[in-house]
Amino acid sequence: MAKANAAPMTAKVHETARAHMAIAVHEPKVGYGEKLILENLAFTIESGERVAILGRSGAGKSTLLNLIYAKCAPQAALVPQAHALVRTLSVFHNVYMGQLDRHSTWRNLRTLIVPNAVQKAEVEAILSLVGLSEFLFTPTGALSGGQQQRVSVARALYSQRPILVADEPISALDQSQGDRLLTALRQSCDTLVIALHDVRLALAHATRIIALDKGMVWLDAPANTLQWHDLAPLYETSA
Amino acid sequence: MGKVIGALAIMASLLQAPAFAAQAPVFVFTAIPDQDETRLNERFSKVADYLHEKLGIAVKYVPVKSYPAAVTAFVNGQVQLAWFGGVTGVQARARVPGSMAIAQGAEDDHFKSYLIANASTGLKPAADIPTSIAGKTLAFGARTSTSGSVMPEYYLRKAFGDRAPDKVFSRVGFTGDHSQTIQAVQSGAYQLGFVDYSVWDLDRKAGKVDDKKVSVIWETPPFPDYQWTVRGDADATFGAGFTTKLTQTLLAITDKDILGRFGRSKFIPATNAQYAPVEAVAKAAGLLE
Amino acid sequence: MKIWGLPAPRLSYLRVSLGLVALAFAGLMLADMQISVQHPGDELRRLLSGFLRPDFLAISVSALIRTVAFAVLGVGLGGSVGFLFSIVFARSRIVRITCAFLRSIHELFWALLLMQITGLSPLTGVLAIALPYAGVFGKVFAELNEEADLSALRVLPSGTSTLSAYFYARLPVLAKPFADYTLYRLECGLRSTLVLGFIGLPTIGFDLDSYFKQGDYAQAGALLMSFYALIATRRLWARPLTVPFLLVGSFFSLPAGLNGGSAMANLARFFGHDIVPAPLRHGNLSSLSPWMDTAGWLWRIGKGQILPGLIHTLVLSQIALVAMALMSLVLFPWVCLRFAGPLGRPLGRALLVVARSTPEYMLAYVLLMVFGPSMLPAILALTLHNGAVVGYLMGRQADALVFRQDAPSRRLDLYFYEVLPRLYGQFLAYILYRWEIILRESAIFGILGVTTLGYYVDAAISDLKLDVAFVLLLATAALSMTVDFGSRWLRAQLRIQDFPRRLSQERIAPHLEKAQFSWKA
Repeated sequence: MAKANAAPMTAKVHETARAHMAIAVHEPKVGYGEKLILENLAFTIESGERVAILGRSGAGKSTLLNLIYAKCAPQAALVPQAHALVRTLSVFHNVYMGQLDRHSTWRNLRTLIVPNAVQKAEVEAILSLVGLSEFLFTPTGALSGGQQQRVSVARALYSQRPILVADEPISALDQSQGDRLLTALRQSCDTLVIALHDVRLALAHATRIIALDKGMVWLDAPANTLQWHDLAPLYETSA
Repeated sequence: MGKVIGALAIMASLLQAPAFAAQAPVFVFTAIPDQDETRLNERFSKVADYLHEKLGIAVKYVPVKSYPAAVTAFVNGQVQLAWFGGVTGVQARARVPGSMAIAQGAEDDHFKSYLIANASTGLKPAADIPTSIAGKTLAFGARTSTSGSVMPEYYLRKAFGDRAPDKVFSRVGFTGDHSQTIQAVQSGAYQLGFVDYSVWDLDRKAGKVDDKKVSVIWETPPFPDYQWTVRGDADATFGAGFTTKLTQTLLAITDKDILGRFGRSKFIPATNAQYAPVEAVAKAAGLLE
Repeated sequence: MKIWGLPAPRLSYLRVSLGLVALAFAGLMLADMQISVQHPGDELRRLLSGFLRPDFLAISVSALIRTVAFAVLGVGLGGSVGFLFSIVFARSRIVRITCAFLRSIHELFWALLLMQITGLSPLTGVLAIALPYAGVFGKVFAELNEEADLSALRVLPSGTSTLSAYFYARLPVLAKPFADYTLYRLECGLRSTLVLGFIGLPTIGFDLDSYFKQGDYAQAGALLMSFYALIATRRLWARPLTVPFLLVGSFFSLPAGLNGGSAMANLARFFGHDIVPAPLRHGNLSSLSPWMDTAGWLWRIGKGQILPGLIHTLVLSQIALVAMALMSLVLFPWVCLRFAGPLGRPLGRALLVVARSTPEYMLAYVLLMVFGPSMLPAILALTLHNGAVVGYLMGRQADALVFRQDAPSRRLDLYFYEVLPRLYGQFLAYILYRWEIILRESAIFGILGVTTLGYYVDAAISDLKLDVAFVLLLATAALSMTVDFGSRWLRAQLRIQDFPRRLSQERIAPHLEKAQFSWKA
């Protein structure tokens, strides 16, 4: 019964989400309490864009991502920098959490004890995208840092939101793993907003680059107009 | 679903198990813990066996740790009979309408307390309460003990112009029972103490008193003390005429072993009215409404 | 910040410490301390020689089983209710106040009160533990809830039901700390049931009381050893897997209740008559005079009992607080590897575990027989027990310190230049945390004859003046809640709010992601 409903409902979320999906970021001042982190933000992210957020650590990338996520939360999935996993639960359950809102509470509780075959197959499919299918019922706390990061990404993918907001989702992966994961993300989500530290991968996968420096937007341009060296000053120590 | 109901049924039966276990009509009695507990246990299990044999019902003695606990058990109806002191008996009967004093030791009609002193005080036995005891440290027994606290305080107030004991003595404490008072005065923890004379005799017989360290220096005038008190609803629970039969059975105790453990020669009939003097003192002391 | 128009003094570790010591000295002026027993050594020698020749035949297995049973059921019930409290703790002021009230009254006082309603029944024992423990569990579970890493909760899809969120992102994170804390509390529950035996619960405390009173120290020693064995092996028999068996087994091990008497009737009498202030019981409530009489009645209790009781309670607890603090500073090196060495540490630990497993109440009770009546036995008991508890915790913290290569090699230098300064904040946190506990225990010592609040409670119950006892208990509760509040305020001022709640717990790091995200338009 619940299962029959699930698929059409997902599709519906997609449809309504698509209709009004531009994320307008117009904030003169952003901060935690008294502390000012970002200033003079004025840009809009359109549906279908793949935005890479660049900048040195401390430039305000995480703050900007949190802000963007807060503005589009119901239609967006978040991959936070701290993986935000429940270490005592299995990989399956951590991934399944991406869809808790789609199912009845009763069913969620049942799944906590006995997952059904369909759910297992769905989660396994997602896990194979991130290369973790053999760890379906491993407690998440037993995985390495890089593996946990991929579980966090898998959870976001499983939630099937049109927008994905991800904070350094490939920081613990090597370049080819990262490349594969970004490809998977591109295929699963319409709109991507991802903080990255790897400029080469950013240029390869994003349609738009927003670079932050000293609490302000230093650069905002289509990715295909940029070269690697255009972004180099951002990472120079003197910059 | 069936499993859930099954589990609930098991839980429900678990919760009732102790209640069922206690269903058999048992006659339960208690006593104020006025001395060493081992001795009380021996004494009252003999009484329980005797009552069981003569009355033909299950009888159980429940030991308690304090005087008020004995009164509360009686007031709550968890025990039907109790061996009370004068004051605790009056307290209990005031709270349970219809309850009656039915028997007492032959000695309890004219009971007395001893004032005992540690040898270091140098106090000698006297016919009148010695005024030189003022300023020393004094131990009472339990707060509501007739012979260990309430009557002694009454006589002290008479002798010291109605001044409260804690104004007369440098320290006043309550040891809990008579055996404890004897030990406390013997060790010097307190210089003086008031004890039930029968417990003093029993403890001396048991070799617990060192005559070189502690001795009796004064005894109070007589007052009524211990008695068996039964609840008014005993007949309703155990059948008409039960109280009469119980009274006769208690009065018929001739076993020297049992009587010896009480420090009594025999049991004689008692009435509520006999305790009017104690009642008046307890009222004046604020122990009764 | 200003207090009465004056700038408030800035609080520092030093000032708080000196303040506490100064108050303790002031307390010493008022305290009644003396050794009245002529030869305290004699009694002590009899005690020790009895303990050295324990009479193991005196151990009653059924009393031992009942000790476990009351503890398991009391802690189980208290934990379950506390768990429910913790869910709404942050949102409901009523629940927070209820928890504070429940835990501010010592289990011995609860037992004395409950005896009036549930009488000599197993329920009295179970509830006497469950009620105050529910208050503690409610608060601690709520704190664990607050401090747990709940980052997963924040990334759940919006629209997730509260229950699903709880079972997926909260419970799995909290289950282990909850279970660990509950099993730790079982140890406290065992101590509580032992002490409740002294007032009549049929546990080994019941027999211990008799043996101590009668001077049968060989028997008392054997019983105490069986109790230490019970506590030392707790980790073996109290595990998450054995809990269902423990609960069911405990239920069947309870003594049968006594027949007769209706709890409902007793309840009605208790609330309808016993605790109603005496002047209100018979008067005409629509006229003014019974109310005036009640005001006078309250005034007399306040002046004659609450005030002296309060002063003595504060004096005793203040002296004991500082004495136990000093004791713990002396003791902790004995359980620290760096100071005691690989051979000394296990020995030190064994001694401290025995000291902290010995309930303060029983210790004071025994010391009272050795030294005679005064505040001294109570102070010593609180100092030994709590000093061992804090010393043990400090030792663990000291073992976790990492020293630089060229740290002082002489032990005293190391102690005063490295270890003590680095642990001092933690030390103060422990001391302030124990404050409320020591205060509650101080009040209880009144039952043993020290004129703290419990002395007057005991007197009122003996005289069957439950109305007076009830007012005194409310005053006791108010005092502990005030001290609890004061201790928390001080900890907040000193920024030392994180401390382990149980002896084997690691320090909880303050949560980093707590700051709420905000932006200003």
